[in-house]
Amino acid sequence: MIKIVGKDALETWVDEVIARMRTYGVQAKGDHFSFESLRRAADLRLDYDVTILPPKKYLQPPRETLLRFSGAVEYESVFDEDPFVIFGIHPYDLEAILQMDAIFEKDQRDEHYLRRRSKAVLVACDVETVSENVFAGCMGTAYLESGFDILITKIDGGDYVVDIQTDAGRSIADSLKSAKDANKKALAARREVWNKNKARLRRHKLEVPLEELPALLEAGYEHPIWEERAQRCYSCGSCNLVCPTCYCFDVRDDVGWDLKHGVRARVWDGCLLAGFAEVAGGHNFRRNRADRYRHRYYRKGKYLPEMIGKTACVGCGRCITACTAKIANPVEVYNALLEEKDDH
Amino acid sequence: MSKPKVAIFDFACCEGCQLQIVNMEEEILDLLELVEPVEWREAMSDKSENYDIAIVEGAITRPEDEERLKKIRERAKVLIALGACATHGGINKLKNNFPEGEPERYVYGDAAGMPHLASGRVKAVDEVVPVDVKVFGCPIDNREFAAIVKSLVMGQKPFIPNYSVCVECKMKGNVCRYEYGEICLGPVIRAGCDARCPSKGAACYGCRGFVDDPNVNAAFDVMEKYGKTVEDLRSKLELFGSGQEYSDGKNG
Repeated sequence: MIKIVGKDALETWVDEVIARMRTYGVQAKGDHFSFESLRRAADLRLDYDVTILPPKKYLQPPRETLLRFSGAVEYESVFDEDPFVIFGIHPYDLEAILQMDAIFEKDQRDEHYLRRRSKAVLVACDVETVSENVFAGCMGTAYLESGFDILITKIDGGDYVVDIQTDAGRSIADSLKSAKDANKKALAARREVWNKNKARLRRHKLEVPLEELPALLEAGYEHPIWEERAQRCYSCGSCNLVCPTCYCFDVRDDVGWDLKHGVRARVWDGCLLAGFAEVAGGHNFRRNRADRYRHRYYRKGKYLPEMIGKTACVGCGRCITACTAKIANPVEVYNALLEEKDDH
Repeated sequence: MSKPKVAIFDFACCEGCQLQIVNMEEEILDLLELVEPVEWREAMSDKSENYDIAIVEGAITRPEDEERLKKIRERAKVLIALGACATHGGINKLKNNFPEGEPERYVYGDAAGMPHLASGRVKAVDEVVPVDVKVFGCPIDNREFAAIVKSLVMGQKPFIPNYSVCVECKMKGNVCRYEYGEICLGPVIRAGCDARCPSKGAACYGCRGFVDDPNVNAAFDVMEKYGKTVEDLRSKLELFGSGQEYSDGKNG
């Protein structure tokens, strides 16, 4: 069902959801925005530009207990299956979650992720304010017509089109049943928002057609840009850690004082970090900074597309902002590979 | 194996890192289940020359301290350097930026020549004897200290991050200090503090020292982008970074 509601009705509904279950939503945090626990609808800021961290942090927390052990071989797996709602996911971040779903379902199913994910209700919203470095318009993620449980779009005139597509969405939207159905005019207004966003979410302009990216990377393995840019790379991993599609993790044990009981947790990792590809004996598959730097762009533009059929950069632009050395703009990197090719 | 005997010794420092161990409060009792302290000036009156693990706090500034440290090393199976003064020389090493004797004359004036004030160049513990484990920070993080002790007792290699403060800072959802025009040393400094300072709105001073291969040259480049100078950065690097070496960013 697709409804149209005013701001007051929208807030009434959000407050009802908050009263019923664990709810997260985008809120102001100083002069930035952040997904945080939502206590009242009035705090929800659907007009935000971009959040500091993507909503990934609720689906793959920065530190997550996988199991509790009570000896050398005795353990009990830990799963988080408490239902929750996230309000205000921009389409590019939603696309990132859909990609994580595909990755964690592939091959060895990741039960920790998937069970938590199965209890999540994702309420997306279309972008109202263009952030400093967003380029979702170039990545096909400026808007999505499906993949969410509910999508909220503020249309011209100030009303909200609320598109409820799944059972999970319907389960939290009872009170919207009596709201007016969105008419053709409202849907046309939403289409206009989508078209506009596709055109304006392009702070950086990717010159490479997405389908040509894997081949371009294939040819660019020895391109000088990797070495040039890596000279200025701290290997601090900031680009990884703010990325909505980075999902790599390290696994660590935290043992209690009895040296017997403890927890095994996974913690966010990043392929730019020096120890990422280090293995027993001190061997390191990507010891050089430039190798690690290149790897990130290959992951996003080649390896993951080959694995899940989608470019694993969604154009949120967070890495561009987070990189103090200003070398992490994927658009600059991919465009540079294209220029080099044209020169020959 | 029976409980390892532990002795804690302090050299030139404020003893704040030992205090962090005392600050473990009720967990001290758990700690004492694992190890047996035999000498620890800040917390007990006993003394001993028989120990397995020596924990050394403070920087080394006098020849007699070097001798004492070497004896400690001979007696200990494992030597732990505790805190920034021990691991890097700490803020004591600022002294090495001046001609010998000048800091003493500046601070003590005519009394600078008194024998009890005599001290030389500041050294980190590993500039005098080999160190097995370094517990970084000014002061140390007692949770990290606890994890290191547990690892050692279990015969495992302790987990000590070799990634920058940015990792923990980003995980906490902080806004980068550079966005506010501040010079933060986070990108080149070893994590493990849970990004304590940036999380409270203060730039990183670098008390845990550089990561293994810090790209400090990149930092010099970055200064320009944020309207800062190389001198601004150097002055930040001095407080805890004096005498520390860093790579030229060309390798590794």
